[in-house]
Amino acid sequence: MNNTLLELKNISYKYKNNLILNKVNLKINSGEKIALLGKSGSGKTTLISVLNGTIKPTHGEVKLFSKSFEELDRKQKSKITTIWQDLRLIEDLSAEQNVNCGLLAENNFYFAFKNLLNISSFKKAHKYMQLCRLHNSVYDKKIGKLSGGQKQRVAIARSLIQGSNILLADEPFNNLDPKLITTIKNLLLENGDKNNTKKSPKTALVALHRLDLLNDFDKVIGIRDGKIFFNIKRNNLKKLHLDKIY
Amino acid sequence: MNKLKLNYTSLSFLPILVCIPLGYQLINNIHFGGFKLFQEFLISAFNPKIDNEIIITVIKRLNETILIGFFSWLVSIIFGAIFGIISSNIFYKIFNIPNFFYRIIRVFLTIIRSIHEVVWGIILMQIYGINFSIGIIAICIPYISLNSKVFAEQLETIDYKSFESINQINAPKFSSLLTIVWNPIINTFKNFGLYRLECSIRSTVILGLFGIGGIGTSIFLSFQTLNFRELWTYLWSLAILIILSGLIFKKIKFNTTNKILSIFFIAVFFITILFSFSYFLYFIFNNNFENFNSISSLFKSSSDLGLFDFLKIILETIILSLLSTGIAISLPPLVIGIFNNNSSKIFIKIFAFLLRLIPTPVILLTLLTFNNPSLSLAALTLGLHNAGITSKLLFTNLETQDRRNYIAMKSLGISKKTSWLLGLFSQQAKSYLAYCAYRSDIIIRETAIVGVIGSVGLGWQLQESLSSFAWQEVTIVLIAYSSIAIVGELINGKIKNSLT
Repeated sequence: MNNTLLELKNISYKYKNNLILNKVNLKINSGEKIALLGKSGSGKTTLISVLNGTIKPTHGEVKLFSKSFEELDRKQKSKITTIWQDLRLIEDLSAEQNVNCGLLAENNFYFAFKNLLNISSFKKAHKYMQLCRLHNSVYDKKIGKLSGGQKQRVAIARSLIQGSNILLADEPFNNLDPKLITTIKNLLLENGDKNNTKKSPKTALVALHRLDLLNDFDKVIGIRDGKIFFNIKRNNLKKLHLDKIY
Repeated sequence: MNKLKLNYTSLSFLPILVCIPLGYQLINNIHFGGFKLFQEFLISAFNPKIDNEIIITVIKRLNETILIGFFSWLVSIIFGAIFGIISSNIFYKIFNIPNFFYRIIRVFLTIIRSIHEVVWGIILMQIYGINFSIGIIAICIPYISLNSKVFAEQLETIDYKSFESINQINAPKFSSLLTIVWNPIINTFKNFGLYRLECSIRSTVILGLFGIGGIGTSIFLSFQTLNFRELWTYLWSLAILIILSGLIFKKIKFNTTNKILSIFFIAVFFITILFSFSYFLYFIFNNNFENFNSISSLFKSSSDLGLFDFLKIILETIILSLLSTGIAISLPPLVIGIFNNNSSKIFIKIFAFLLRLIPTPVILLTLLTFNNPSLSLAALTLGLHNAGITSKLLFTNLETQDRRNYIAMKSLGISKKTSWLLGLFSQQAKSYLAYCAYRSDIIIRETAIVGVIGSVGLGWQLQESLSSFAWQEVTIVLIAYSSIAIVGELINGKIKNSLT
């Protein structure tokens, strides 16, 4: 049975005459936890943007559930959730309103309206914010008033609340202290949660810088200058591989 | 010899050179017959007429003004927001609509706003006759377009990345759109709402001068009968109205987290839309076209307008805009810089307020008491009125600016005026010029009002053509007007972009 969820076929992406991605081929199977390694500017963020359909590649084909993005309906597209490196939260909204934005896909226009007017239910949002160890004093605070770590966790909560099957995360552990990193990593990779109340994505591709966080991943992909240098099981990762990309 | 180098500070003062040809013509045109009248006009400001009869008239006229001004403001701000959304690129990105439609709607809105509300008013009056509703509709047409520009500009500043993140959630398109535009729209309303309300009241007054009703009509009638004491009663009551509306607007807290208040605003929003549509349809189908029986008259009527005369009035309109803009840019920093002490500042602020308060046709008519009608007089009037507006902005910005440079310069023994110029104004010059670029768009549109009264430019020709029902001429003049305004808006847009 074909269990490939996401597939990149010969993907290249050019921006202002610079080749950011160069003939990338990649398959992400259901349930895989993949770590994406590479220097800053190696093309990690662009690769994630191509995978979630934000960027259209200059060449090649992106397939989600064996269909191109154009063939997918909105509900199918919403099976992917992304935690962006620069978070991309809406500054004018409160933390809980931002988290509720993750529910926009499964609700109608009236929900969006109520969320903006602050009259929607925030129960679910609060539950995910609690899971991300956000104190209830920050729930109704505007994003601009939160610390870097708090913003990071709001973005993670917004992503988790979507209940998507596929998680794409671009350096999601930035701004977090070591204790929180373990908690958040467990949440994202579904390695167990005390209350078992969350609905985490089952498949994950996470861009990382820290090698000590690789433990819970099945596979590791190394990228340099827009090219994938290795795509191996974590247990097979050697210093030699890392030398190629750093 | 060193090359002359212009910076933003010098560029702010340079346009004052327009006063040389302007002053020359004004001095040549001076006549002393009306000085007594002018003196009487000034003295009456301190001795307005107050009795029961006039107070009743003031209340009645102010009610009409508030009604026209408030409704036109409400309708234009709500529809302005809607058109602002559909003329912003974010709308087309969310719905994947080709950019072609974006350009079409922008051009359409630019044409609509290029024609001043007075011109719309005069045209509608010619078609439908004098009607209370004309005032609201005449203001709403260009104001919806003007407001949409303000809203669209704010929406263009939305961080593209937050748009991408919401879009990536793959929510229903309308939910994404609402989530992204909601706060910029509310913030624009908070920041520009009061200013637009003030503009609506001023426009109602100006339309009143042309017979629409409200306090403007009373101002015009008292001026015509040279009853200056009565005139000042109306002007001061108008001042109180503008100040009060400002205070009330500032008191209302547009707190979007207050549920009851939010629901109230949403209710007002939908009721206004429904009411506007039904009223508009009622107006269209229940009015007799008095002088515009069929569109065919547009093609049947002939035009006596010669090409040379037509080009001459176009040139006059352009020169009028340039001269007025020159005064509006340079006069405020020059006067504030020269009379740079606290008591002078209070005097300048009061004078600027009066220049904003008194409708331009009344300023022009007052100046006509001792000067013959000319292009310079019209330019001076328009320039002074707009200098009143630019000076308000300059004062506000200067008062909130960091004064450390100014203090440091003064401590070095540099004179107060020079310290003000280099330590305070020079830091404001760039943003001040950017605002003036926006203001000059409005000046081009306003040439229509002074043109009608001061016998210059396209405004005058429009009045003449409308009076003789020469619809072909009216169309030609309107096309010319639109073209000048659109070209002006494009040039000013480029200037503004280079400054911001």
